Amino acid sequence: MEILEVRHLSKIYGKGENQVNALKDVSFTLEQGEFAAVVGESGSGKSTLLNCIGALDTPTAGNIYMDGNDLFSMKEEQRTIFRRRNIGFVFQSFQLVAELTVEQNIMFPILLDYRKPDQSAVNEILEVLGLSERRHHLPGQLSGGQQQRVAIGRALITRPKLILADEPTGNLDSKNSQDVIDLLVRASRLYQQTILMITHNNHLTTSVDRVLRVSDGVLTDLGGKENEKLS
Amino acid sequence: MKSYLDLVPISAKVHKRQNTMSVFCIVLAVFLVTTIFGMADMFIRSQIMQARMEDGNWHVMIRNINEEQAALISARAEVTASSWYGVLNYRGDQGYTVLGKNVIVMGSDKDWIMKMQTQDIRDGAFPKNDYEAMVTENAKTRLGLQIGDSISVHGPDGTGYEFTISGFTKNAAKTMKEDSYAVCLTTQAFRSLYPGVSNGQPAQYNSIFFVQFSAHSNIRSTIADMKSQLGLSDEQVSENTKLLGLLGQSGNSFMMQIYSSAAVLFLLVLLAGIMMIASSLNSNVAQRTEFFGMMRCIGATPKQLMRFVRKEALGWCKFAIPSGISSGAVIIWILCALLRFLSPEYFAEMPIFGISLPSIIAGICVGILTVLLAARSPAKRAASVSPLAAVSGNANSLQPVRKAANTTLFKIDTALGFHHAKASRKNFILMVGSFSLSIILFLGFSVTIDFMQHSLTPLKPWTPDLSIVSPDNTCSVPSSTLEKLKENPAVKQVYGRMFAYNVPITVNGQEKKVDLISYEENQFGWAKNFLLDGSLNAVQQENNTGLIVFEPQNTIKTGDTVSLHIGEQMAEIKIVGSLSSSPFNNAPDVGTMICSENTFRQLTGETDYTIIDLKLSKNAAEADVDEIHRTVGMNFTFSDERSGNRSVIGSYYSFGLFIYGFMALIALITIFNIVNSIAMSVSSRMKQYGAFRAIGLSNRQLINMIVAEASAYAITGCIFGCVIGLLLNKFLYAKLVTSHWGEQWNVPFIQMAIIITIVLLSVILAVRGPVKRICDMSIADTISAQ
Repeated sequence: MEILEVRHLSKIYGKGENQVNALKDVSFTLEQGEFAAVVGESGSGKSTLLNCIGALDTPTAGNIYMDGNDLFSMKEEQRTIFRRRNIGFVFQSFQLVAELTVEQNIMFPILLDYRKPDQSAVNEILEVLGLSERRHHLPGQLSGGQQQRVAIGRALITRPKLILADEPTGNLDSKNSQDVIDLLVRASRLYQQTILMITHNNHLTTSVDRVLRVSDGVLTDLGGKENEKLS
Repeated sequence: MKSYLDLVPISAKVHKRQNTMSVFCIVLAVFLVTTIFGMADMFIRSQIMQARMEDGNWHVMIRNINEEQAALISARAEVTASSWYGVLNYRGDQGYTVLGKNVIVMGSDKDWIMKMQTQDIRDGAFPKNDYEAMVTENAKTRLGLQIGDSISVHGPDGTGYEFTISGFTKNAAKTMKEDSYAVCLTTQAFRSLYPGVSNGQPAQYNSIFFVQFSAHSNIRSTIADMKSQLGLSDEQVSENTKLLGLLGQSGNSFMMQIYSSAAVLFLLVLLAGIMMIASSLNSNVAQRTEFFGMMRCIGATPKQLMRFVRKEALGWCKFAIPSGISSGAVIIWILCALLRFLSPEYFAEMPIFGISLPSIIAGICVGILTVLLAARSPAKRAASVSPLAAVSGNANSLQPVRKAANTTLFKIDTALGFHHAKASRKNFILMVGSFSLSIILFLGFSVTIDFMQHSLTPLKPWTPDLSIVSPDNTCSVPSSTLEKLKENPAVKQVYGRMFAYNVPITVNGQEKKVDLISYEENQFGWAKNFLLDGSLNAVQQENNTGLIVFEPQNTIKTGDTVSLHIGEQMAEIKIVGSLSSSPFNNAPDVGTMICSENTFRQLTGETDYTIIDLKLSKNAAEADVDEIHRTVGMNFTFSDERSGNRSVIGSYYSFGLFIYGFMALIALITIFNIVNSIAMSVSSRMKQYGAFRAIGLSNRQLINMIVAEASAYAITGCIFGCVIGLLLNKFLYAKLVTSHWGEQWNVPFIQMAIIITIVLLSVILAVRGPVKRICDMSIADTISAQ
């Protein structure tokens, strides 16, 4: 089942001489449960692609369909609600709410929806993430790896159709990096969630189903694992 | 780049937005201090001008001293002018006249006219010998006198005293109102015509010694020294309290209360300035933890960072202080121009582009010192940023969080908003402090309005410019005069009153007396605001009806029927209403009854008026007044009240302008300060808001979050502000009003409502801008916002 469809997506920054074509006519689709990685040089347009797919930024042209819904035909308020229910984010710098405990951070998207969180679901995620003991800790009291696990938990709690991860291991050591990737893979398998991850680390692409490369704003589908292709 | 401090201007370019806000805060603080100090300075200058013009430019008057003592006082180095001053026929009851009109006879030395009265001589000079005299200008116009002419002052026994006119002095409000003249003689000439005394002591001639001290001397200690040296009692020496008070030299206890109140208010203004700057710098540095962490990372010592922050802050001063001072100066110029425009007679000497040095010095000191002091703590904070913060993922977090937000009581957006407000105790205290200071300032300064209302009586709508009064208080001013005056284009309004004094009445079996007064349409219109009960229509339309003016000892009530005994006749009058007060004075055992002209005429048979009041049109000239005087003739007292009215208006304008100016300024500063504080607070959390939005925070929820944060500051600020403000209000009220007029303090609900409304509206205004800015930005931009 097709979860994400990106059609002729372009993004241009600046005007005149300063104009930068960050994305050039990008099109691809992702199936449910698929774990894809986007690789590319720094400044190639990876983050721009992720921001557009997550509706954090507005594309200059093209469409993005999520589960058949055109993201940019929605009104801002409607799009925000759609995003918080259907897209989970994991950032390189975690972006946890410093004022909330581990448990509250995980519940955050549900609370934003003014719904009562299902405690058993929260407990399950805490268990999967290995954070049960730390549920009442504040982000400032956790290690980088633990913080990223909380961010993954927050992305998983609404059981979104798509999880977007922007360099989720960028601030972590190799041990923690592998743990985070394993978690994402488990989530993808366990909850049948589609994951699109940006990474610099070629080693990490061994765990993914599909690799997309962005170079100068142009997307190339490399198919299976990049390392396999390269090798 | 030659020094690491050269990074300051480069960094300033990058952080332009935050810096603009900090600069704006300093501009506001300097503007507030400069304007309030400048306004106070100009206010005092205007009041000194008015006091000198109205009461004279003297500092003490001394009674019952002899010539030797007077000579000793005059010889003191601190004394710049001194003069004997005596007066005869001041109340018009001693029988001195010039051509049948009452004349006030004054005797003084040259200093009195030349140095102690402002702009008193209109033409000519002070009498050179005892046979010369100066007279008021009204005598010049009415009697057609010239310098060198002779004037004869007649004493009560009919003796004539001839003087040659040496000059003309300004008309005094008193002589104009009473339609009398004044002559000014030398002290010697005055004493020679003083009745019943020859070769007496000055006190026997009712002569008082007036002294003016040098403005640069310590007047209080000079007075004390003079008293002890000459053995003068407190009763002998009276201060010109108003002038000395304005010069800051009064020892009067009420003036001391005013000084201490002013000191409290100005300390508050300084505190508000310091608070605004401190809060702004604190917020500015807090936003750049990452930057300072990076600086520490690459080798900057804590000391260097402190220097960096200080240099940055002083750099803002280069622009902010001159801007604050110049905008303050412009406001002061506008106020001075307004004052000159509203009351040119008093404030013509007000400088158009006056510079108030105290306000500029205060502005510069507040700017530089506050910035340096306020920069100390952010500088320390910047210096204490761990290099780790720059490289860790949470470098942009504003404050280490110790306690989690409570998400059970409120919705998540509101809960986070409240939590943001109190996340940093220091920031919370500074924000609440700056909100509450605005309220405290407003409530504190609002006492000055009560003070003004007690110390000045505004001009009542019925106050006439001119009055034509029957000299013997009978109904002798012809009603035809009123008709003639109605046709005069220089007259805006003219209305008459008939008086019947001490009319015996019988009411409820008791015998009493009343003054019966007739009103016409205009006067009934003004009485509307004083109607306690009954109807004004009935008294105007029905004959034999009247209004009674309320007095505690008066038993006549609405509905009573009063029998009036006028001459041999008796008439009944029905009381159809009562008024709380009237503009007339009456004897203690005599009531006041108002009726229509028709009723009055029916009852008394009189057709003419006792008084005709006139209000002149705006463009009426002095020639028009003379023309009216000629129309009326010399048989009536022609009371010209314009000068007195102008004095009241002048005082009211100057006081009102500055006091309401202060209040408006505080309200304006409150708005700016709140808008800027909230904008800074939002800016500092821009990245965080971006992340929230990415996770799914809608714009509406973002608004809720910012509103909750702003409300936390506003509500806490309002509570603290109102509590402390009310205490201050009560304290100042006791000092400025209760101590002098005895009136008890009441909670100033209206002022509280006004300032709380201003605060709440400012919060709404403050939230709108940043929210709109964030909503217009893409989430990706918000996350990466600097």
